[in-house]
Amino acid sequence: MRILLAEDEPTLANQIKSVLNTEQFVVDVAADGAEAQFLGETEPYDLIILDLGLPIRDGITVLKNLRDGGNDTPILILTARNDWTDRVDGLDAGADDYVTKPFHMAELCARVRAMIRRKAGQSSPVFSKDEVSFDSRTNQVMVDGMPISLTSQEIAVLSYLFHNAGRLVSRTELSQHIYQYDGDRDSNTIAVFVNRLRKKLGSDLIETVRGRGYVIKAVA
Amino acid sequence: MTSLRTRAITAGVIWAIVTIVLALAGLGSFMNTQATERFTEALETRHTQAIVAVSNYGESPEFISRGMSDPAFDRPFSGLYWQMEHEDGDFYVSPSLVDTILPRPQEGDRANIVRRYDGPGDDPVLAMAQWVTMANGDRWHVQVASSLDTLSEDQAALRSNLLTAFAIVASVGILGASAQVTMMLRPINALREEVAARWDEEDGLTPEIYPVEVAPLVADINGLMNRNRDIIRRSRRQAADLAHAVKTPSAIVRNELEALSGKGLEVAEAINALDRLDGQLKRSFARMRADQGEDQVGTYTDLDVALGRMDRAFSALARNAGKSFTASFPQGLRVRMDQNDFEEIMGNILDNALKWADTQVDLTVEGLADRAVRLTIADDGPGIPEDQLDDVIKEGRRLDSSVPGTGLGLSIASDLIVAYGGAFTLGRSAELGGFSFQMTLPTSSAKITPQNAQTDPSAHG
Repeated sequence: MRILLAEDEPTLANQIKSVLNTEQFVVDVAADGAEAQFLGETEPYDLIILDLGLPIRDGITVLKNLRDGGNDTPILILTARNDWTDRVDGLDAGADDYVTKPFHMAELCARVRAMIRRKAGQSSPVFSKDEVSFDSRTNQVMVDGMPISLTSQEIAVLSYLFHNAGRLVSRTELSQHIYQYDGDRDSNTIAVFVNRLRKKLGSDLIETVRGRGYVIKAVA
Repeated sequence: MTSLRTRAITAGVIWAIVTIVLALAGLGSFMNTQATERFTEALETRHTQAIVAVSNYGESPEFISRGMSDPAFDRPFSGLYWQMEHEDGDFYVSPSLVDTILPRPQEGDRANIVRRYDGPGDDPVLAMAQWVTMANGDRWHVQVASSLDTLSEDQAALRSNLLTAFAIVASVGILGASAQVTMMLRPINALREEVAARWDEEDGLTPEIYPVEVAPLVADINGLMNRNRDIIRRSRRQAADLAHAVKTPSAIVRNELEALSGKGLEVAEAINALDRLDGQLKRSFARMRADQGEDQVGTYTDLDVALGRMDRAFSALARNAGKSFTASFPQGLRVRMDQNDFEEIMGNILDNALKWADTQVDLTVEGLADRAVRLTIADDGPGIPEDQLDDVIKEGRRLDSSVPGTGLGLSIASDLIVAYGGAFTLGRSAELGGFSFQMTLPTSSAKITPQNAQTDPSAHG
């Protein structure tokens, strides 16, 4: 799952980024509004965290421009202003949720997970398919109730396929959502991760549609 | 300071008194002179009549009184007398003199002598006396006298008439002055009413519709109102900037501390201190906001706009939480409150309702006849036991610490409501069974009418 974090304060941006990374999210950071809008318009993100007090172009403008351009990525706004007017401005401009500074990182992560899950149409944080279950809160994968150890890339691929269950996902799309902007995007490595997942979780979970991509069929 | 009306009327009355006194003195003296002249003319006529009588009846003087036809000459001491004296010393007098005689002037010339002396009964009289020589060569001293009492009575009657006339003029003048003052003060009264009515409007007053003498004052009031608004806007922006400046570093420190805590380091004290710092900041900003609310002028919130925004925002937040939110409000209402503050109140209350609701939060609004709007926010959550209702608006009081929050929301909202002259009641919702927050806010004068407030509320949400 790939997240765009638009935050101009570098220390805070690094803190958020590192926490989200440990949660197996891939994070691109934009330090100003113009960059945030550019990345939001050109890269496929699963979620955008948008600080409202950005330099060059303020967060509300970025938000409006993205929504006007037809971008329906879930957007979480960060606001340091005290008042509700800021939050209402953001929500009214098309944001899906808000977090006010100073916030607890755990709360931010919980909101991020819930928003991504809602976008996938999943109300429970635990995705299951046959004997395999994936807890999006802890990234814990179980097969028949037994915990299975996965690498972060494997978790990223599995998480994206679960969040898009029932839909065919191409290798390119997968690579776009598990690597960050300046990362080494080799879509061939996707096949490697999928094979490893099959070995660990059973070959029935992820189906290959030859030449087109992968799909996890209907999940519970 | 003395009111303009009192000043104008006092000045008018003093001016009227001075004018009337001067007019009375001038006119009174003129009329006195006129009365005296008339009196003297009448005396002259009688004197002439007496000369004619002597000339007619000089041969048989006992009939002289036939020539003096005025009955007052016959009535004893009537105040009107004649006296004829032949050069031989024969005396003929009017019956009105009874047994007295009029003194005769010493000099023996023929001039017509007018004198004033005390006549019969010490009654002052004006007398006219003259020696006349008849055709037969007889010389007569002819004298008539008239009591000055009649002149004084005439003059008194004139004075009285004059005073009555001036009293009427003075009354009409005072009434006229009052009416004039009322008319002149009308623009000032209108200004006072307009200032009271427009105090909560952005558009200010219109100097052009006032008289030129008042227009500069109107412009000054506009300036003052704008300045007041600017000061509040500026200080609010500064407070918001300060909040912004402090919060990001605070978030950074918090994250560092949490990271250290994750590594097993003992940082509970530091996190606790940071919580207190954040809480204090939030409280201070809320207090600052409420304090500014008390002195706010020239602000109002169009509920169509503000509630539309809250509706869209909270519909989204309710969707996120898997709950539903409905808002129903009649169009065209305005409250006398800054829009940021209104949204702060609504945001805090709705956020609280959404947090506690099982599935449903309802916002209903109705315009009241007495320049007020009632807003009710109700949820279907567990509600609050009656004995704890007072606690929820206390600063930092959280009834359930397992639910995230600062415990400041309802306290901030209630402070702001009170600061703007509103009122609120907490209780249990009859419809949804959960917590109900009902507030009454004063409306802005410009837009609300009981008619548009109470007709057919259109549902939103």
